[in-house]
Amino acid sequence: MKLALKLAYRNLIGAGLRTWLNVIVLSFSFVIIIWLKGVLMGWDYQAKTDMKQWQIAEGQWWHEAYDPFDPLSIQDSHAELPNTITPLLEEGLTEPMLFVQASIFPEGRMQSVILKGIRPEQQLFRIPSIQLDTISEELPALIGHMMAKSCRLKKGDIVTIRWRDANGTFDARDVVIAGVFASNVPAIENAQVYIPLAELQKMTLLTNQATIISFSDEKLLKDPPTSWLSKDKAFLTKQVDEMIKTKSSGQTVMYIILLFLAMLAIFDTQVLSIFRRQKEIGTYIALGYTRRQVVGLFTIEGSMHAVFAAFVGALYGVPFLSWQAKAGWTMPIDTSEFGMAIAQTLYPMYSLSLVFTTVFIVLLTTAIVSYLPSRKIAKMNPTEALRGKLQ
Amino acid sequence: MIRFLLKGLWRDKSRSRLPIIVVATGVMLTVFMHAYITGFMGDTIEMNARFSYGHVKVMTRAYAELSDQIPNDLALLDSDKTLASLQRSYPELEWTERIQFGGLIDVPDVNGDTKAQGPAIGFAIHLLDAQKGDVDRMKISNAIKEGALAQHPNEALLSDDFARKLGLKIGDVFTLMGSSMNGSMTMYNLKLAGTVVFGVEMMDRGTVIADIEDIRKALEMQNASGELLGFFKDGYYNDDRATKIASEFNASFKNVDDPYAPLMKSLGQQGSMGQYVEMAKVWSFYVSLIFIIAMSLVLWNAGLLGGLRRYGEVGLRIAIGEEKIHVYKTMIYESLLIGIGGTITGTILGLFFAYLLQRYGLDISGAMEGATLMFPTVIKARITLTDYYIGFFPGIVSTVLGTALSGIGIFKRQTASLFKELES
Amino acid sequence: MKNYILVLFLIYSTILKAQTAEDVLARVDANMTSTNRVLESSMTIQGKRNSRTITSKTYAAGNKQSFTEYLSPASEKGTKMLKLEKQLWVYSPTTDRTIQLSGHMLRQSVMGSDLSYEDMMDDRKLSEMYESKIIGNELLGDRKTLILELTAKVVDVAYYSQKIWVDAERYVPLKQEMYAKGGKLLKQTEMKDVTKVQNRWFPLTVVYKDMLKQGDGTIFKITTIAFNQEIPAFIFTKAALKQ
Repeated sequence: MKLALKLAYRNLIGAGLRTWLNVIVLSFSFVIIIWLKGVLMGWDYQAKTDMKQWQIAEGQWWHEAYDPFDPLSIQDSHAELPNTITPLLEEGLTEPMLFVQASIFPEGRMQSVILKGIRPEQQLFRIPSIQLDTISEELPALIGHMMAKSCRLKKGDIVTIRWRDANGTFDARDVVIAGVFASNVPAIENAQVYIPLAELQKMTLLTNQATIISFSDEKLLKDPPTSWLSKDKAFLTKQVDEMIKTKSSGQTVMYIILLFLAMLAIFDTQVLSIFRRQKEIGTYIALGYTRRQVVGLFTIEGSMHAVFAAFVGALYGVPFLSWQAKAGWTMPIDTSEFGMAIAQTLYPMYSLSLVFTTVFIVLLTTAIVSYLPSRKIAKMNPTEALRGKLQ
Repeated sequence: MIRFLLKGLWRDKSRSRLPIIVVATGVMLTVFMHAYITGFMGDTIEMNARFSYGHVKVMTRAYAELSDQIPNDLALLDSDKTLASLQRSYPELEWTERIQFGGLIDVPDVNGDTKAQGPAIGFAIHLLDAQKGDVDRMKISNAIKEGALAQHPNEALLSDDFARKLGLKIGDVFTLMGSSMNGSMTMYNLKLAGTVVFGVEMMDRGTVIADIEDIRKALEMQNASGELLGFFKDGYYNDDRATKIASEFNASFKNVDDPYAPLMKSLGQQGSMGQYVEMAKVWSFYVSLIFIIAMSLVLWNAGLLGGLRRYGEVGLRIAIGEEKIHVYKTMIYESLLIGIGGTITGTILGLFFAYLLQRYGLDISGAMEGATLMFPTVIKARITLTDYYIGFFPGIVSTVLGTALSGIGIFKRQTASLFKELES
Repeated sequence: MKNYILVLFLIYSTILKAQTAEDVLARVDANMTSTNRVLESSMTIQGKRNSRTITSKTYAAGNKQSFTEYLSPASEKGTKMLKLEKQLWVYSPTTDRTIQLSGHMLRQSVMGSDLSYEDMMDDRKLSEMYESKIIGNELLGDRKTLILELTAKVVDVAYYSQKIWVDAERYVPLKQEMYAKGGKLLKQTEMKDVTKVQNRWFPLTVVYKDMLKQGDGTIFKITTIAFNQEIPAFIFTKAALKQ
């Protein structure tokens, strides 16, 4: 075996440029597969992290009537905070939010929005709610930068908001945009205005009420009281999973074609090796090698391309991939309008298992492709081969 | 000379068969890959085009300002005239009228009182007239879950989930409550002809699809259209062309000071589509580049291998007195012929497979059950002009380059030791 | 002589003072409501693109019951609306359906005007809903008016406070401003063409305007009105909608 490896190594190095061309193409497969998969993993991670940090924490309770896709449901989806929540709230383990439908009138045009009440002192989400903790004549409000763009509002602007309290009485107030934040989560930015929770509860006469309650720990999600439904992270991030799945299936075709390409080169090389080295093969058999051993020898030689490729791939791949992981891959576009959590810059993530699986798959494929033309050896007549007669 | 070389290649299969197979396979993969990437990136664009953006869209200026809110009170009036003039001026596009609308679906019980109600997003298209292409374009026939396509006026389609939630069965009549162009509340009865599932949550929640003539009656929008959509006749979005058409069209209304004058926007100029179009372009470029590089290396290698294969033959030819430069030249010519032959074969094969994938698509819906995004569930290739020539670079240049490099060895061979080499 | 004028003035001002806001409001309510009335009216909506006029005939009994049939334009003809207490039904002749409007549907504008169905629904007398206070007087055109400030005394009102300019002699409101709880002006109405109809002063033209929206408002004109008519009870039933 050791001898076979040594022989294979010598033969490959001896072939010079031809080997290196094969190796480079194969190494492409390694690096590109790992990179693309890494981008997807990074994307998955980033999207979920962003959602966690901005929108869903470790899971939520929704009021039973709440349906994020049905704006009409918001009117009825609120209830008193369960008693069990209060102690958790003091420890910062949970965060209630109240949603109320309202209209905003930028430049005299009416637009429907959802007023979201958030505690200014909250720490669970990255929404800079602390900016709501100011004293001003107008009610301080926060909006996302996408909302700011679509309504042409900026920090310091004053805009009228009209809503109705629990009794249906109209109320309207000017709010001052205390801050514009940028998240990667459009779901928390589009057509939404954040104001202090206590104010919103007072304004709507919905004292101590909330629409959703977010938790910092999955364990707290269990056993929601009546009129609350528990929504875990898996449910809340389903969309991301599905998108990653689609993207993955699209990419798989690319890997297959890329591998196919590399295998074409290996196959061609192997066919030529066997064609040109018949004398050598004859000699091996004359020396007492069994045909299977000779086949093995050539298979190992072919497969070794993959080993070389792994090293060559590592040579430029490791710096490239680690640079990517650090610097990220900036999409050449403004991703904010995609409608889901996508950061402008994606940081690929590579797991050990990803690297190993890739190496294993490429190695296996190379071995198979190296073996296929070698089978011809088994059918050779050794004496003829020894004489160098082409078969 | 060429005929002589061709004869040689033809008769000596070992000289031509494998190299041509390799070149052809490589080129085929490159062509296929490029078409695949273009299709993959383009499908999301086409899907959005079909449902809402068109390749270009004409609406009033005022409507365009608030297009997120679907302000039908700002719709285009006399849309048949605008449509006819668009058809005349831009025959390369197919034009169709659409109205998007919001409303409530109200289901009566036996006494005519409300039994169930739910909010709906509506698409008014040419549902009854298949000639106008909307039914095909939105792939409605494929989306039918129960019932059938609407055949008669006042028949409509609903999202399957939605119909179930409202307790509607095929043939039931429901009332669409909407807001007329003038802001009046309107009611209109429609019969459920079928239910649809598009595999896109946005479309599968509460969609009603009705014929535009019915909706015009329902919303008092006689001869008005919210939007006129134009689609390139070849079925694919061409950003440069669409942008050019749009700016040309808008230039002709430059001096009209009317908020209800028509305004054309290309798909790329609407919502976030522009960025997606850009991304698709950039991605396709990088992916193709990597492929071409990889392919070039493979074919280069194949060229080298080809040279080696004929080591003995070259030796013999030099030995019997052929000039080295002549041998080298004929080798290059031969590789050129192999390159051309392989590239043509490969391009044809690649186009063929790409065509299959373009025509039939690869259904990945199983892999993404319950999808919620506006992503296509069928992967399709798309053949573009580039696919016809993209294979030539790696196919010919790399093959010739490989041969040229390996052929340098010819000049290094010593005539004196030739026979010895041949003997061994 | 001088004293005489002074005394007269004092008497006059005491009379005005003695008039409490409640009195004024009661007289306004008395003027504006009636056991029943039948009227034909036109509503002109000044839209962004065009203005259109809708005519209708209304039968009303007290404040709780009303029945409206639209007469023109063709697209609205035959549409009927029935209000009984807190409920509102709309009948559309094209669908032959009667649908009860509820919840958010009530917040929709009536025929594209600056009025919502809900605005038409509140049928309580002002004095039932609001505490009132006279806060001044002003000359509106050539009419002397008292300015009343109304503040909600019940919780379920659409507008928390209102300001009403009441003609000091005829006890007809000439201008009305509706405010949000926070004090923001939401809607404004102006009453014009105050005419004497069957011994009572009544404004025949009302201009409504939603102050948060851009636009020129809606003009509501009464073409004929008759109070205390015989209205068959059948009119105020759902069955009448389908007639």
